Amino acid sequence: MLETRNLDKSFGAIHVTRNVALKLEKGERRVILGPNGAGKTTLFNQLVGEIQPSSGSIHLAGEDVTRLSVADRARRGLSRSYQKNTLFDGLTVWENLGLAAAIALGKGTGLMRDPLHDPEVIETVKEVAALVNLGRSLHAPVAAVSYGVRRQLEVGIALATRPKVLLMDEPTSGVGPEMSRGFHRLLKNLPRDLTVLIIEHDMDLAFDVADTITVLNYGEVVFDGLPEAARNSALLKEIYLGSWEDA
Amino acid sequence: MFRHTRLRLITLALLAIGAVLYGAFTGYFGLEVLTEIAILAILVLSLDLVAGFGGMVSLCHGALMGTGAYAFAMLASDLGLSPAAAMAGAIGLTGAVAALIGAICARSHGIYFIMATLAFSQMGYSLVFESPWFGGDDGLSDVPRPDLSAIGLDLNDPRTFTFWCLAALALAYLVAAQVLRSGMGRSMVGLMHNEKRLRALGLTAWRVKAVAFGISGAIAGLAGVLAAQQTQYISPGLMAWTVSGEALVVVILGGLGTLVGPLVGALLFVMLRHEVSAFTPYWHAVVGMILVAVVMSRANGVYGWIEHRLSVRGAHGKPIEPEVENA
Amino acid sequence: MPIDPGFWVLQTLNALQLSMLLFLLSVGLTVIFGLMHFVNLAHGSLYALGAYVAATVAGLAGFGAGVVVAPLAVATLGAALYFLLIRRMRRAGPMAQVLVTFGLIFVAMDVTRMFWGDLPMGISVPAWLNGQLDFLGIEYPAYRILIIVLGLITLAALTLVLTRTQVGAMIRAGVDNDQMAACLGINVERMFFIVFVVGCALAGLAGAIAAPVLAISPDMGLQILIPTLIVIVIGGLGSLKGAIAGSLIFGFVQTFGAVLAPSLASILIYALLAAVLVLRPAGLFPTKG
Repeated sequence: MLETRNLDKSFGAIHVTRNVALKLEKGERRVILGPNGAGKTTLFNQLVGEIQPSSGSIHLAGEDVTRLSVADRARRGLSRSYQKNTLFDGLTVWENLGLAAAIALGKGTGLMRDPLHDPEVIETVKEVAALVNLGRSLHAPVAAVSYGVRRQLEVGIALATRPKVLLMDEPTSGVGPEMSRGFHRLLKNLPRDLTVLIIEHDMDLAFDVADTITVLNYGEVVFDGLPEAARNSALLKEIYLGSWEDA
Repeated sequence: MFRHTRLRLITLALLAIGAVLYGAFTGYFGLEVLTEIAILAILVLSLDLVAGFGGMVSLCHGALMGTGAYAFAMLASDLGLSPAAAMAGAIGLTGAVAALIGAICARSHGIYFIMATLAFSQMGYSLVFESPWFGGDDGLSDVPRPDLSAIGLDLNDPRTFTFWCLAALALAYLVAAQVLRSGMGRSMVGLMHNEKRLRALGLTAWRVKAVAFGISGAIAGLAGVLAAQQTQYISPGLMAWTVSGEALVVVILGGLGTLVGPLVGALLFVMLRHEVSAFTPYWHAVVGMILVAVVMSRANGVYGWIEHRLSVRGAHGKPIEPEVENA
Repeated sequence: MPIDPGFWVLQTLNALQLSMLLFLLSVGLTVIFGLMHFVNLAHGSLYALGAYVAATVAGLAGFGAGVVVAPLAVATLGAALYFLLIRRMRRAGPMAQVLVTFGLIFVAMDVTRMFWGDLPMGISVPAWLNGQLDFLGIEYPAYRILIIVLGLITLAALTLVLTRTQVGAMIRAGVDNDQMAACLGINVERMFFIVFVVGCALAGLAGAIAAPVLAISPDMGLQILIPTLIVIVIGGLGSLKGAIAGSLIFGFVQTFGAVLAPSLASILIYALLAAVLVLRPAGLFPTKG
């Protein structure tokens, strides 16, 4: 479903991703682990097209999308959430989700009908709101809701496009244990045919939801395999020792 | 997101009733003032559409209005088109020019967008000022008014012409409000709040900006056509960047991003100009000081301030609540 | 196509003279922007005010006195503006700044009309500056040479201050990152004030020395504003190098355009600006941040 071949990105002499080869099957849940600065977010930015790789290619559902714009890739079913909330701050939660759904449904550029009153958009918003547990804050302005709710909305916007491939950049960053468990449930409730790639720091969550695990270190894939194998890998313990024991 | 709150509907109704009553009973001078207000209102409406709802603060809307005026005059006089066809042509042409400017400036933000539009404004001004084609410094005269005798209207009658302009204003408002409640308008508001995220959701940002700027330009072109018909004479002064600056001032005085506020702003601005210039030649200084005071007060213009005082939910009115009962 | 070398020397001098005048104006505006992220549309009005003050003082006490007093007077006004308006508007968005300073243009224009009337004013220069100088085989007005020399001196002085002194290093640090500069113990607020006032003084100086070659009229500030803005946008807002490059580009394109392709001259510079904005939206020498 999503594949990278020899993906390389360097700024001058510094390689932020080096020769990354990933292959995600349809419906696969993969967690990316790695210490700070391992190049995880830079990898995401290349996958969605926010930065161009220095060399290598990216394939979405069999199509080479390496040269396509961010918007073109999104229209082909690739969606992401950000580590740092990237919301429409002046709007309500409902309008945030509605806008995302409208654009994904191709109703974001018409001149005649109001997409925010469109039955299909409303249906999508309801579904996503239930999925990410936003029902109670739907009509509040984003500026008025708590950080945790915004974190849920961050993922909700990415889901409202009904993607084929969802990339989540540390969805639980900065939230408490209870909300972390909420995300856990959310991940379990996602449609089974959705392909998901998650950057995650929370080890319990990672091992619980992952079908496969990829570990990045200094921009390189140093482990790629099943969670059980990851748990027992000596190399990983070495790279990750601190957070391993804490988790 | 734009919404017709009750306050906005009441204000619109009051403005409409006031304009019709005043237009029906006032004398020649009053009609001139009312026409001036209507044309300025169309211009600032078009500017609020992109500046207030798309974050595209333009300093070329005066030049776009001038483009409409010149295009109308030249299509009607030089090409001999009927005034109605010339009107349609001028509005379409201005819209196309604006769409092009919008597409080119789509990558610029903040002060760079303001400067880029200013550059295009000045380009148009110099072109018109220096080229003998456009009559240069002397401008163009004998601009015709459309012939509506087929439906029993004589636009050379001052009162009929005033109502012609008011009808155009009503149409421009309806178009602007319609755009704001369409997918295009919703996306434009989204772009103002977070362009990066909208791209990541699959929106081609530059195209939305170009179309929105084009529609706004077409409305500004309508204002230009009417301005040309009003005085039946046009000069390059119409395209000076200060006209764009003044339009922005009116939007700010009225209330940016409220669509209704700029109408109130146009009314206040023209009345203020007539009142102040009656007792001092230095009315620009007075307007300048009021502008500084309004911007520094941090209120969103006169109308924005009223909305804020009357609505606990702030200047954007009640948020949209579609039929989601228990989500 | 004229091939007379004298023609090229003459036009080059004309272009340089225009460039230097624009440099004096744009350098203040651009450094203020780079440091404080403040756009001052009223910068041209300060220049006009400089011209009026210079003309008035010159009438009473001679040209030299006018050229000295004008920058001081404009700097004083700049200081007052800083405390009344600029300081409070610094954190406001670009639109609010554009509007407030646009309002100031209106006020300034009417204030000059109130004091000095609507009619253009003249200013006479001392006899020793009135003559012609023999320069590379052509006759060129001595006064215009003086403008070029003054511009070059200012350029050299500013470059020295910015690159070789501690104050300059502080200003450059502030342009790069004002919060970091504040953390390093630099009194950012005082630095802003100084830079703003010096920028105003340079605008006043530009007005004073431009006065003898241009007509002094209430709208002269408005007329110079657009070229000044074009210069700093082409060069890159906030960049000293950009102000130099932009001034030279504008001066030469405008001057040579006017003699070589008169019908295109006025469009040329705007087309150039549009091209720069499309290809390099942040100007030729963008500043960080």
